[in-house]
Amino acid sequence: MPESATRSAGIVTDAMRALMGAKSEKRTAPWPLSEDSLRRFVQAVMEEDPVHWDPTAAEAGRYGSVVATPLFPLHVFRREPGTPDPLDAVSADPGNDGTSGAGGASGSLPPLDLPLKRLLNGGTEAEFFQLAKIGDVVTTQSEYVDISERLNRRGEPMVIVRTRTTYSNQDGATLATITTSLIAR
Amino acid sequence: MSETTVRGTALRFEDLTVGDATPELVRGPLREPHLMRWSAAIENWHRIHYDQRFATEHDGLPGLLINGSWKQHFLVQSLRRWAEPDGWLRRISFQFRGMDVVGATLTAWGRVTELKEEGGYGIVELEIGIHDQDGNQNTPGTATVVLPLADGPAVPYPYPQP
Repeated sequence: MPESATRSAGIVTDAMRALMGAKSEKRTAPWPLSEDSLRRFVQAVMEEDPVHWDPTAAEAGRYGSVVATPLFPLHVFRREPGTPDPLDAVSADPGNDGTSGAGGASGSLPPLDLPLKRLLNGGTEAEFFQLAKIGDVVTTQSEYVDISERLNRRGEPMVIVRTRTTYSNQDGATLATITTSLIAR
Repeated sequence: MSETTVRGTALRFEDLTVGDATPELVRGPLREPHLMRWSAAIENWHRIHYDQRFATEHDGLPGLLINGSWKQHFLVQSLRRWAEPDGWLRRISFQFRGMDVVGATLTAWGRVTELKEEGGYGIVELEIGIHDQDGNQNTPGTATVVLPLADGPAVPYPYPQP
């Protein structure tokens, strides 16, 4: 590890560290998993396994009915009708990046208010137990598991936040635990 | 598309050797419409994935950025094609170390690094990744697949939590 990586960037506060390990409120997707949203997803991601759309193929194997893909629960939170339009911000400010109001699965955690502008997806760690079926209503609960800071090779500060989310169905069975890393710099 | 082109022959633990490669999954060249379709399907309106001017002039990127949220599914697809119908992808982990931009052809690959028997099942540890058309490895990771043994029980589904 280069020497710069061991130097603190001085951004992470004790108040932020105190949020580590605290579980969020549970959050439930606004709709059950529908055949149509799964179809759009499967076509966009170029998935070729018919267990994701063909009941006959799904019934022939372990899944028993049409299921989503393992990482699909990452995408179950959608904007509900009647909520503020995130693209209003694009109209008001041509430099707006289009992500206003994007909450995602961990949206119920207290925000960290990092004084950094750019957020990058740093990666994912996931464990899978079962796949969501058509009609499943996915509930999530999240916690910050790690927050660290360092200076990159150019001496600029960056903060890495790891958030673990447990995805369960309406029966309380765990579908997956997925830890995402967000890099702020 | 027939079942066999997706699944191949059912994989058995005893057939594997450390160093074996999983079948590569090639996607691309990935053009603007592919990225637009993905952003629309998951309702992600971040402009760096579909607004060329914003990506290059405002954010100073070399081109439209291929979403990490999209690429990661290619890794899962390549492993499940290989391991299923009898195996179970139990764990996957990867980092987005570098940018892939529009026009890239991405190849998801895997290589067996360890084989062990545990609780009556075969455990396969893998090194995985995605490389672009020039060989750049921007998404390194690891994965664990559980396979039945030749004379053993089927891998349970749902897979038990630890």
